[in-house]
Amino acid sequence: MEIHELSTDVLIVGGGLAGTNAAMGAAERGAGVVVSDKGKIERSGDIGGGVDHFMAFLNEGAAWDTQEAFLGYVEKVGRGTGHPKIIESVYCAELNDAIERMARIGNPLTRTDGTFYRTRSMGQPGTYWINFNGKRLKPCLGKAVRKLGCTVLDKVMMVDLLTRDGAVVGGIGFHIRTGDFYVIQAKATVISTGNTNRLYENPRINPFNTWLCPFDTGDGQVMAFKAGAALSNMEYMRMTLLPKGFAAPGFNALVGMGGRFLNGPGEYFMEKKHPMGNKAPRYDVVFHTLEEIRNGRGPIYIDCRHVQEEDLAHLKTTLGYDKDTLPDYFEQRGEDLKKKPVEITVSEGMQAGPTEFTGSGIKIDTESAATVPGLFACGDASDHNRCVHGAVTGGYKAGKSAAAYALDLKTGDKASHAVTREQIDRFMAPLNRTAGYPYRQIEDAVRKIMAEHVGVMRTENGIKSGLRKLARLEQYLEDMKADDLHELMRTHETRSLMLVGKMMGNAALFRTESRNKPYHHRLDFPDTNDADWCGLVVLEKKGAEIGCSFDPITYGPR
Amino acid sequence: MPPVIDYEKCTGCGTCDALCPADAIYMKGSEKPLTPYLKYPEECWHCGSCRQDCPEEAITIVFPPDMLSI
Repeated sequence: MEIHELSTDVLIVGGGLAGTNAAMGAAERGAGVVVSDKGKIERSGDIGGGVDHFMAFLNEGAAWDTQEAFLGYVEKVGRGTGHPKIIESVYCAELNDAIERMARIGNPLTRTDGTFYRTRSMGQPGTYWINFNGKRLKPCLGKAVRKLGCTVLDKVMMVDLLTRDGAVVGGIGFHIRTGDFYVIQAKATVISTGNTNRLYENPRINPFNTWLCPFDTGDGQVMAFKAGAALSNMEYMRMTLLPKGFAAPGFNALVGMGGRFLNGPGEYFMEKKHPMGNKAPRYDVVFHTLEEIRNGRGPIYIDCRHVQEEDLAHLKTTLGYDKDTLPDYFEQRGEDLKKKPVEITVSEGMQAGPTEFTGSGIKIDTESAATVPGLFACGDASDHNRCVHGAVTGGYKAGKSAAAYALDLKTGDKASHAVTREQIDRFMAPLNRTAGYPYRQIEDAVRKIMAEHVGVMRTENGIKSGLRKLARLEQYLEDMKADDLHELMRTHETRSLMLVGKMMGNAALFRTESRNKPYHHRLDFPDTNDADWCGLVVLEKKGAEIGCSFDPITYGPR
Repeated sequence: MPPVIDYEKCTGCGTCDALCPADAIYMKGSEKPLTPYLKYPEECWHCGSCRQDCPEEAITIVFPPDMLSI
C-alpha cells in the first residue's frame, strides 16, 4: 500500500452528475481540480446508465413558463422545505447555462429538430419536464472533465475530511482495488456524493435493488457533519412508486404520458382523491397509494392502455433512457403497457429531498457554500438541490463558488495537514480483523430499525425507541471485519448509514408536525402546522450529540 | 445475476470491470486476455452500463427469479 499526497485548489468528492458539473464549473474558472469517485466517472452515480428527464421553465410564452410562475410552484408544493432565494440562485440563475452546457458537451436536452419534448406531472402547473435521451450524458461529462485537465481519481472512496482552524482543507480516502491511500490537500472542497440509499428495508428483498443509486450511502453528508457543517431537511424519508419487482425509475414518464393509477377493485383512485388526479405532487400520490393498500384496496397498478400509439412509443423509448434495462425487465416479466396495467408498489424509503427542487443534506447558502469555511455542496447531498436539473445547475454553481474561494486565498494560506500512519490504519482496520461481523449483518439491522421506527408511521415513542436501538447497534461498528477492499468500502458505507439514520431520527423527533406526508408523517402530530414549522430543521454536531434548531422560511406576497 | 457474459464474444478488454459502479465485475486468469466475471452478483443495480459500453456486445441482462416473480 502506497500513500499518495496531492495538493489542489478544489477537491470534489463524488463524480456523479453534480460532481462532474462542479468539476467543470471549477476548472472553467481556472482552478486546479481533483475529483474522486467510488466508481468511474463515465458511468458512476444515479444517472450512470442514463436518464430521461430534466425540469425547467423555458419562457416559451405560456404564463406558467416563467421563473415567477416556477417559484409559485415551489412555494405551493415545497412550502417550508427550501428558501426561495437559494433556489433562485443555485437553480433558476444557472438554468440557461446548464441547458447550453449539456448541448456543448454533446448530450443536448433538445430533439434533433432543436425543440424540447415537454410533459407535465407531479403538481406542476405546466409542462416543466423535458424528456431527452441522456444515455450518453455521463460518458460525455467524463470526457469533458478529463479534457479540462482535472485529475480524476476513479475507484477512490473518500472516508474523511481534513480540517484546520475550523476550515475544511481537503480529504483522505483509499483506492478500492489497490488499497493505496490518498491524502488530498485542497483550498476548497465540494461534496457531491448524492443522497442515502440502502437505509430502509427494501420491499423487493435485495437491499441493492433501489430506486436511486445503492452505492450512494450518505458518505459525504456524514463527513461534512463530522467536520462541523450544518445539515437540514434530514427528517424527510423520500419514496416513490416503482414496478413491483424492479426499482426502476419511470414515474414521471408514465404519468407525464397519461398513465392512470388503478387500485385492486378497478378504481382510478387518484382521480377521486386529489384535484390534480394522477398529476398530483409525488408525495401525495405515494400517500394515497399507501392508504389504498392499508385499506385493502391493493394491489396498485399503472394503466397505460388508453395511451395513443405515438405517445406509447415515446413512453417505451423514454423509459429505456431512464433505466437502460427496464424494457428487458418488462419483456422478461411478460408486461405489455398496451395490453394490461403494470403492477407497481411503494419504493423503499431513502434520505432525500421532499420535492423535486428542494433537497436534504448539507445546508447551503445562495453560493452553494456550507456553514464551514472551505466547504461547498451540491446535488442530492445538499439541501437545496434535487434531481437531474438540481445536480446540473447546482453542481456547476458549487464548482464556480469553490474555485472563487480557492483562488481568492492568499498563497500563504496554502493548505497543509499531516496525516499520520495511525490515522490511516484506523480506516483500514476492518481488513486486519480475523474475527468480527460482516457489514451486511449490521446494515440489515439498521434498515430494519429505520423502517420500523423512523419510517412512514412516526411517533415520539417509536422514534425514541429506534434511536435507542441504533445506539445499541452502533457499538458493533468497531467489530466489523472486511475480507477484502471491496468489503472495506462496504463497512465504511455501513458506518455512514448508521449516522444518517441517527440524524434522520433526531430531526423527525424534533419536528412535531407532519409535512409533505408521507415523507414526514407524525401520527401524533398528523397535521401540517405552518404557523410554527414553515422552515428547515437544522442539525449540527454538539460534542457527541446531534443538536437540532429551526430555520424559518418566509414568503413574500405573490 | 443480471449481466451474463458471452465468453465466445468477449475479448477480455476489461471495459465492464472498469465501469461497473457496483465494483461487482472483476477480471480473473493468470495470463492475458483476462476473463471478466461477476464477483458480487447480488450487488448489481441493473444500470446496464456494462452492456451499453461492451465493444463486443457480449453482455445480456437476465433478471433473477425473485425480481420477475414477486
